[in-house]
Amino acid sequence: MTANLINILLGGVFHAAILFLVAAGLQVVFGVQRIFNLACGSFYALGAYVGASAVNAFTGAGGPPALFIVPLALAGLLVGVVGVVVERGLLAFVYDRDETFQLLLTFALVLMLEDIVRLTWGTAPYSTSALYLAYGQVNLLGATVPVYNLIVIGASLAIALGIGWLLTRTVFGRIIRAAADNREMAEALGVDMRRVYAKVFTLGTALGTLGGALVIPATAAMSEMGIELIVEAFAVVVIGGLGSMRGAFVGALVVGVFRAVAIAVYPELEMLMIYLVVIAVLVLRPRGLFGRVAV
Amino acid sequence: MRRGPVALGLAAVTILALPLVAPVYHVLLMLPFMAYAVILLGLNLLFGYTGLVSFGHALFMGIGAYTGAVLTTHLGVRSLELILLASAVLGALVAAPVGALCVRYVKIYFGMLTLAFGMLFYTFLLKFYRLTGGDEGIRVLRPSLLGFDLAAVSKTDYLAGAYYYYSVAVLVLAALLMWRIVHSPFGLCLRTVRDNPAKAEALGISIVRSRWYAFVISAVYAAVGGALLGPPIGNVDPTLAYWTHSGNIVFMTLLGGFASFFGPVLGAFVFIFLQDTVMSVVPYWRLIFGAILAFLVIFAPGGLMGLFAGRRPGEVSRA
Amino acid sequence: MFYGDFCALDGVSLAINVGEFVSIIGPNGAGKSTLINVLTGALRPSAGTVLFKERDISGIGPVRLARLGMARSFQLVQIFPDLTVLETLQAAVVSRLNRGSRLFGSLSRDREVQEGALAIADLFGLAEKAHTPSKHLPQGDKKLLDVASAFALYPEIILLDEPTSGVSTRDKHAIMEILVSASRQLGIKSIIQVEHDMDIVFGYSDRIIALHQGKVLADGTPDEIMADEGVVDTVVGRKALAPGGGA
Repeated sequence: MTANLINILLGGVFHAAILFLVAAGLQVVFGVQRIFNLACGSFYALGAYVGASAVNAFTGAGGPPALFIVPLALAGLLVGVVGVVVERGLLAFVYDRDETFQLLLTFALVLMLEDIVRLTWGTAPYSTSALYLAYGQVNLLGATVPVYNLIVIGASLAIALGIGWLLTRTVFGRIIRAAADNREMAEALGVDMRRVYAKVFTLGTALGTLGGALVIPATAAMSEMGIELIVEAFAVVVIGGLGSMRGAFVGALVVGVFRAVAIAVYPELEMLMIYLVVIAVLVLRPRGLFGRVAV
Repeated sequence: MRRGPVALGLAAVTILALPLVAPVYHVLLMLPFMAYAVILLGLNLLFGYTGLVSFGHALFMGIGAYTGAVLTTHLGVRSLELILLASAVLGALVAAPVGALCVRYVKIYFGMLTLAFGMLFYTFLLKFYRLTGGDEGIRVLRPSLLGFDLAAVSKTDYLAGAYYYYSVAVLVLAALLMWRIVHSPFGLCLRTVRDNPAKAEALGISIVRSRWYAFVISAVYAAVGGALLGPPIGNVDPTLAYWTHSGNIVFMTLLGGFASFFGPVLGAFVFIFLQDTVMSVVPYWRLIFGAILAFLVIFAPGGLMGLFAGRRPGEVSRA
Repeated sequence: MFYGDFCALDGVSLAINVGEFVSIIGPNGAGKSTLINVLTGALRPSAGTVLFKERDISGIGPVRLARLGMARSFQLVQIFPDLTVLETLQAAVVSRLNRGSRLFGSLSRDREVQEGALAIADLFGLAEKAHTPSKHLPQGDKKLLDVASAFALYPEIILLDEPTSGVSTRDKHAIMEILVSASRQLGIKSIIQVEHDMDIVFGYSDRIIALHQGKVLADGTPDEIMADEGVVDTVVGRKALAPGGGA
């Protein structure tokens, strides 16, 4: 019984760790640029495919399987540079537009990236050769848990702390927060907003792609994974509160664990419950648990 | 503006004559176009006239489509008139409470709330297999039209003949009714609410009530259009209610031009036929359509109608 | 019939009577905006009541207030950018006639609305620009349209928040003249305005209420106010009353 519960909970926390990365990307972009990036799920999918390819190339070239996480994480981070391209090439044109148009532009990205993935990797599910259990499994209170899951959970926690440090302790973080509070003021103080936006969007993108890369040993990449994840990430940020990092953290835990428990107990309810929670939060507390944005 | 009636007349003649002259394939493509045209006429009351962008209208298309499927397959009701009526009523019944919650918010929060309701319904369709057939959906049996059974007619003759003209009639009625709505005192109030909510309230116009009416009307249109989508396919499934479907109809509206009455209808037409053309060459329509959408958003937010009218982007983009 | 607005704000207590043109003056931070928000039912006072036609209107919100017969214009001009002048006025008339829920009626064939809007446009000298989109109007006309649409509600009392702010000195008096004559023709019983321009204040008011630090410093006719040294020093300012400044 306990073993089962631990399994369910840790499964949920693993999913939450991935969700947090994508949602954090969504939050940092929304917090500073006021753009709700529907494409963050697509970046996640892109990261998954590129990560899988990198690992396959690595093991194909005779790299030691035990080190697969190195090319995986590197690929996940590096592919984040598409963020610069997207920001400079597309988003930069619509900052003075109504947010409807910004939202639709990210929807255009969703459409394009989904097919770019299909064009590059085909429509069949794509995965790494069995590396999920390369680090073995450990026994936790009777439950057998893949070590890889624990590594991802640990990495996600470290990234959460890292973002917290970045936002509160560094000059860049102070600039970001100033820009989020008052763009005009930041500009008047000599901050080059174009560079801030490019950096922030790239950071957001890299978080998404890294999330995608890290999930890939545990599952196969599919072209629809992006549009499916975005609605979960959306639930995370609504529950946590738009633009809030702490909100992304707590929201991811809520959604991840909730979903895992629902699947185990009553599969029909899975996402249904999540959406009910989302609606309840939006209606009763539109700021979310930690949001500061007034409606 | 004189060009308007001429273009409209030409379009009407073309649509009426099409089954007589065009290949069946193109006639059949007109069926989803007309269904989407009905849906978009309603969506634009919310988008263009009220300034609210819903990312959850797939919910109401789904309600209409599934109403048709359940009525014909499970309840033995074949009359398309009854199906459309039931879709409209169910759409309104669901939209009334959903809309009452959603219209309290604007912009991104309105979009998110509608998206959440849409996905709630999608998950319901997907998970409650016994009721909804899960991801396989439900078959839609051939509806009778105006009391005529038409079961003996071949499928192609039915769709490209009677069903085609029936759809034309529904679209014309829907357009006439919407024309009256947007040119009514209520329609004017909607535009005041869109342009400046605070000033509208100061003039005694209730913004919440105006938006709520617009929401419910647009949902009824989406449900009726959704019911029309079912019979040509012969099957309905949960993807109809998925959030990307909501996104696509917003895309169609923008493509045609949300600032004009017929813009969304044009958008539906171009979307359907362009998608078909692209897919006959390469399967990657999303890549091309995504690029088109990006182009529209950046360079031509007024859509095709905006380009025809020579309107500058600044005049339609509202800050 | 007696009706009056009775308001308490930091101990402020005042009654506006039928037929009065009242100006509220005071330096920034004196509580003018709060007073307006309380008077127009946008803010609920923490203590005390606002009575209008013997009814408590504290916090009832703009829509019901407009229905009751109190209209307002805004300090920062509020228009509907994409609506024409005539459409803006029609919207106000539609609201006055309570026809906003007519979903299928034709606006263009509603003669009462059409004529009502045209009459207001005439009254405010906006008839020539009836079909101009509001966003293309010059600043003075935008201000006038904002006020005209409030007048089109045929309110019993109208509250004007700096009706001439942002308007050139040349246009200010023209706007005020139109405003006063329109209110007479439409049977608007009382006008309350908040205004900084002492020229306008002393030129048109029956009564002036000077606010200072949330309290009523003085309340009287223009002559009484002008005679009050303390008020002139703290609120009106000497320069405003220099020769040639008075109307």
